Amino acid sequence: MSLKSGYFKKHLHVDLTKGNAERRDLPDAFIEKYIGGRGFGAKLVWDNLRKHDFKIDPLGPENLMVVAPGPLTGVYLPSSGKNSFVAISPATGLYGDSSIGGSFGVELRQTGLDVLSITGRAPELSIIFIDNDETTIIPIPELKGKSCLEAEGRIKERLGTHAVHVAIIGVAGENMVRFACVNTDWGRNAGRTGIGAIMGSKNLKAIVLRGHKDIPVYDVPGLVAETEKACKYLEEHKYFKMWQQEGLMNVIEYANEKGILPAYNFKDSVFTKHDQINGAMMLDQYKIGDSACFSCTMCCSNICLVKNGKYTGTVVEGPEYESCAMLGPNLGIDNFAAILAANRLCDELGVDTISTGNIVGAVIEGYEKGILSLSDLDGKEITWGDEDAILELIQRIADRQGIGDVLADGARRIIDKWPEMDKIILQVKGLEQSAYDSRPSISMGLAYATSDIGAHHTRAWTIAKEMEEGQDWSDDEKVDTVIYHQKLRPLFDMLGVCRLPWIELGLSERHYENFYKYVTGKEASLEQLLELSNDVYDLTRLINVRLGVSRKDDSLPHKVWANPPLTGPNAGRVINRDDFQRLLSLYYKKRGWDQDGIPPAGVEKKFDD
Amino acid sequence: MSKKLTVIPELCSGCSICELVCAIKHFGVNNPKKSAIRVLTTYPHPVMRMPIVCSQCKVAPCAKVCPTDALRWIEGVVHLDEENCTSCYKCVEACPFGAIYAHEDCDLPIMCDMCGGDPECVKKCPNGALRLIPEAALGESKRLNNILSYTQMKEIEFYEKGEKRIIHYAEIGKEEL
Repeated sequence: MSLKSGYFKKHLHVDLTKGNAERRDLPDAFIEKYIGGRGFGAKLVWDNLRKHDFKIDPLGPENLMVVAPGPLTGVYLPSSGKNSFVAISPATGLYGDSSIGGSFGVELRQTGLDVLSITGRAPELSIIFIDNDETTIIPIPELKGKSCLEAEGRIKERLGTHAVHVAIIGVAGENMVRFACVNTDWGRNAGRTGIGAIMGSKNLKAIVLRGHKDIPVYDVPGLVAETEKACKYLEEHKYFKMWQQEGLMNVIEYANEKGILPAYNFKDSVFTKHDQINGAMMLDQYKIGDSACFSCTMCCSNICLVKNGKYTGTVVEGPEYESCAMLGPNLGIDNFAAILAANRLCDELGVDTISTGNIVGAVIEGYEKGILSLSDLDGKEITWGDEDAILELIQRIADRQGIGDVLADGARRIIDKWPEMDKIILQVKGLEQSAYDSRPSISMGLAYATSDIGAHHTRAWTIAKEMEEGQDWSDDEKVDTVIYHQKLRPLFDMLGVCRLPWIELGLSERHYENFYKYVTGKEASLEQLLELSNDVYDLTRLINVRLGVSRKDDSLPHKVWANPPLTGPNAGRVINRDDFQRLLSLYYKKRGWDQDGIPPAGVEKKFDD
Repeated sequence: MSKKLTVIPELCSGCSICELVCAIKHFGVNNPKKSAIRVLTTYPHPVMRMPIVCSQCKVAPCAKVCPTDALRWIEGVVHLDEENCTSCYKCVEACPFGAIYAHEDCDLPIMCDMCGGDPECVKKCPNGALRLIPEAALGESKRLNNILSYTQMKEIEFYEKGEKRIIHYAEIGKEEL
């Protein structure tokens, strides 16, 4: 059966230099092969790279930025609000993507588009307004320097409507901070790989959407029946209520207990005062509401308010686990209110909480160890848990003031300037590491090392399995699990749905072949969909290889080999280099890449047309 | 017994499932912009998520402005007489809650019909933010909250079978007035 529905078959390309927008038809072959989301993004980025002979400055006008929901985005099924941003990353210089939940992707589909791409540079700070079939580029220089929240309010005032969805950058994006994010629905960020800096480089403050169109679904009654089954399963799960209440904040307690929680820039992997910053503390003193992505029953996001003390009045959507861990324990902060204040500041400025937490943590440790001098810090001392100094440093990064100007360029430039910082900062391929300590989990190490965007857990998250089952599983099993994750997890990003119902509550991945069938009218087994996802993994690897990546880059931060966590259940544990290299060789073999990590010559042909 | 569809905004997560199931039930399409209920969100001051849906007013402002008398309150539901409706959308503008909607694909205003007494949105709301309650029960939880938050109330902590409990009581006559 071939494709019958599920897509508008439309691609909008905006060239900000020329100031024009062009709607193009998407061929069926393209749609069926790349599905959507990061699949569309990878292919369009690949084509653009070929057009420029693989010479692209991530912050140049030629870098193509793709905004892509998937065929299931906005559809009535568990958590269908996902959207991917894809481009060559200014953090890594390689393939980069970041996905968001919320409703932005749904609104994009309702304008009648499956994918939006943007190149060029507007002559002055502008927004793109897609109002159903009409696209306009509106210069709006008065928004310069405005925070994400304030600017969003002003745009709505100017357009005379609150019923739009906005993806916006803050000061950090305008200043091309290489870990600037794109903020949507006020508190939801496409955080990783510096997509916000790309918008800044294009003089693009925001993308504003208003769409009213039906999202095409082939078999609505079939879809509803499948969704009701899935929702019933989720609601009956013993942890469903806990997810609704604590959401991702429940992971703090889990990570601390298992000894994988970053503390003091990963010097440790447990935090003594974890009970001051965990889900129970949030529920007891801070949470004032739930927040869900589009069509999600789990509502894993929380709304928090600080009700007393110096941060009184601070409202945050969040924090989720990563933000809390990286801005809290990783910086030695044991005051939940201060974590909320830092999270809110990051949202306002538009910087990624994970990279920010890594970089600020590395600065504190670098200063502690004497790698950074007081004059490097512009005379401003910074120590663990010093809330004021930490908040000020985050502001200075976004403003590119003093040391902030170096830090704003991310791990790579920090290491260039202070080579000893290579031993302090946790990064792979230039992307700072997520909030799961891989030292007790070699499979997680492999996952970080082989992730196409750098040290992020989005492609494979095998650490829980390793924590549950111990180290005793075989090399084969570890590599197979990483590869299976690298097929399945990106598939969710291609379909435009959230993976949490699967990974956290065990919703069978089989549902997704049915969702795909009911929405598109095309039968494809889960295995076939996974193969398509695997092809996209080959493609992103090819992109990276053509941009210079090989085995030497599929490595791990210095600390992972050399500095074990000081206390907790994993005290003394590191990853052995030989064990890792053995696993990496097996990984390449199973992927069909050569021992330098290069896919075979024939693979490139698959992505020609 | 007349029932009311009531909203508890504090419980709303903003997931929009009410919008989806409403549009699917009435139009057979996946389009939250064709629903008779919409979740509105404001952030950060105030933080609010609230589904806006018809209150089925007995003295309905929409019916009052309808030039063709196409809107009538009958047994708890404001009915739209499709034959007589001219789609002038005066009702959309007149509703004090903004709970009647318009869409360019639709010939008629989109308004809640209570799904014949068994609203789909109430059944599918995962957070219990939408409730169907007897008309006489409206305000019950407010009344209870009012009592619980009564300012002169005192509380005492005590343990019952090892579990911490709190009892509230009013200390009559001892408050400084």
